[in-house]
Amino acid sequence: MIRFILSDLRRLWAGSLVVVLLVALATALGVSVVLQERALRLGSARAADKFDLVIGAGGSETQLVLSSVFLQASPLPLMPGEMLGRLAADPRVDWAAPIGFGDSFSGYPIVGTTTMLAQNLSGGLIEGKIFAHEGEALIGSAVKLSLGGEIKPMHGLPEEGGETHIELVYHIAGRLRPTGTAWDRAILVPIQAVWHIHGLAAEEHAEEGAESEHEHEEAGEHHDGHEHHGRLDPDAALDERWTADAPGLPAILVKPKTIADAYKLRQEYRSGDTVAVFPGEVLTNLYATLGDAKQILVAVASGAQALVAASLVLVTVIHIGQRRRQIGALRAFGAPRGAIFGIVWLEFFFLVAVGIGLGFALGYAAALLLSGMFSETSGITMPVVFAREDAGLAAVLLAFATILAALPAVLAYRQSPAQALRA
Amino acid sequence: MLALNIENLSVVFPGLSSPALAIGHLSIAAGSRVAITGASGSGKSTFVNIVAGLERTRQGRIRWNGEDIAGFSESRRDRFRAANIGLVMQEFHLFPGLSALENVLLPARLAGAATADVIERAHALLSTVGLSRPGQKIETMSRGEMQRVAIGRALLRKPGVIIADEPTASLDAESGEAVGDLILDLAIAEGSTLIVVSHDQRLASRLDRCITFGSGRISEDSTATAGEAA
Repeated sequence: MIRFILSDLRRLWAGSLVVVLLVALATALGVSVVLQERALRLGSARAADKFDLVIGAGGSETQLVLSSVFLQASPLPLMPGEMLGRLAADPRVDWAAPIGFGDSFSGYPIVGTTTMLAQNLSGGLIEGKIFAHEGEALIGSAVKLSLGGEIKPMHGLPEEGGETHIELVYHIAGRLRPTGTAWDRAILVPIQAVWHIHGLAAEEHAEEGAESEHEHEEAGEHHDGHEHHGRLDPDAALDERWTADAPGLPAILVKPKTIADAYKLRQEYRSGDTVAVFPGEVLTNLYATLGDAKQILVAVASGAQALVAASLVLVTVIHIGQRRRQIGALRAFGAPRGAIFGIVWLEFFFLVAVGIGLGFALGYAAALLLSGMFSETSGITMPVVFAREDAGLAAVLLAFATILAALPAVLAYRQSPAQALRA
Repeated sequence: MLALNIENLSVVFPGLSSPALAIGHLSIAAGSRVAITGASGSGKSTFVNIVAGLERTRQGRIRWNGEDIAGFSESRRDRFRAANIGLVMQEFHLFPGLSALENVLLPARLAGAATADVIERAHALLSTVGLSRPGQKIETMSRGEMQRVAIGRALLRKPGVIIADEPTASLDAESGEAVGDLILDLAIAEGSTLIVVSHDQRLASRLDRCITFGSGRISEDSTATAGEAA
């Protein structure tokens, strides 16, 4: 029987191949949607893990999280610089670090922050050391630059046609360990340097002005002008004592000492001019929305699968029509009906099962490819993994194949051999 | 060796006013060799389908050694046919991709009846029909050789009756003659009842009895005895 089926499949190899491919592609579509969605969810959740509490000026919570956790460049409103000093001194806070955005280099976002974050972000360095002077920078593990290299910050992103700051050139002092987050593509520099470049340092407030060449949306306090060309000293020591008149800040990352502290801090800073968010919580809300999108994608994939199933029904009905004589002859010469049913069922089930298996492999490969591309641009590691519920999906598909294969088998079973031979 | 006894058989196809086949009474003795002739559409094929149990009839009795297959279920008719009737058809209905031996054994294998004895018999039959290479793929054979394989398949399970439907019609004169001889010789050697539907006058003339069909009825029966007259 198996020999017969195999020789039959060999004879009908082109049709069989088409059936396998149809099933494989439809399965792959569904599998890759599920895997990709899971990868996105896991990847972003892991990316947000590092950040317990983010405090920013009033505005969109989602925007705050996207900017701080995923480093999506967007103009955030600023909050008073004194907040940092207050938070740093708060006994409930383990550490607090400001982040300032706006510049980039070679497409990598430059994030102004403090040694505090540099120490805590990735749990150490691969090479080099943390910045100690204004002209030093720290790069994420995925930044394709080498230690000692120069970084000339550009205002905004290259595609936005930003201008290059000529006031300061950073030298790469160290490289962080990989974190699997967007921060792997970031260039960390002292926030003090960012302020200086943008003419915002606290002590410069009263300095004599000249004309300023560019506007800084993210710079809350617009001074009429500063002449700061060539005035920055890359070897200036860092001053991380936060004074009350520190410049405005878009966001502060806070590591509370305990969970209770985290809730208290959030409560305290979410009123008034500031918002305090748990990135995980904001992401959960986002996933709720994403979940709906997933439902739609899954529905589309299911629709494609239903189409394939329908076309398979057509294929099988035609196929059985073509094989009427063969089936009739088998019965005329003494093969029992059960055996005919078995042959047709097995043959078809075999094709569909191979298709499903291939589809899972294809879907996995496609998800890996997509995740790889996404990681390349965002720095966020997207883990493509099968979960237990995927076995359920496979089981459902196989059960469906069982039923689908029974259709031609029943058709073959019910045929009168005399009619089949006449045809 | 099986005897056939038909009574009050009437086969009506939907949409046709007159029956495709109507036989009041017909007996074929066990071990006899009968030719069935007649023009196209005279009911020959319907006769074969009915007596071989390939088609079901609602009216009449078809008794093989007293067993009325008209009353059998579909599956039971299949089993009966597999065990008792050897079919040879105009078209060989062999399966490409399989060897001669595998083709001979296929129905028996599917029925779970391919014992060591049966396999041995398959080898013996292939050499009896004059094929020396049982492993030869069927698609590489000539039409005459293919029909020999089909005859081997028909005889595998020592059927009590061999029914051949135009076994020589798709062959050239020479191999047709050889195949006709082979069927006749084997039926005698095996002691099977033989029913051959054929236009081939030479083949028909070598059989004991010739029944001619016309418009679904028996129009002539060469050895109809008084007792068998309808």
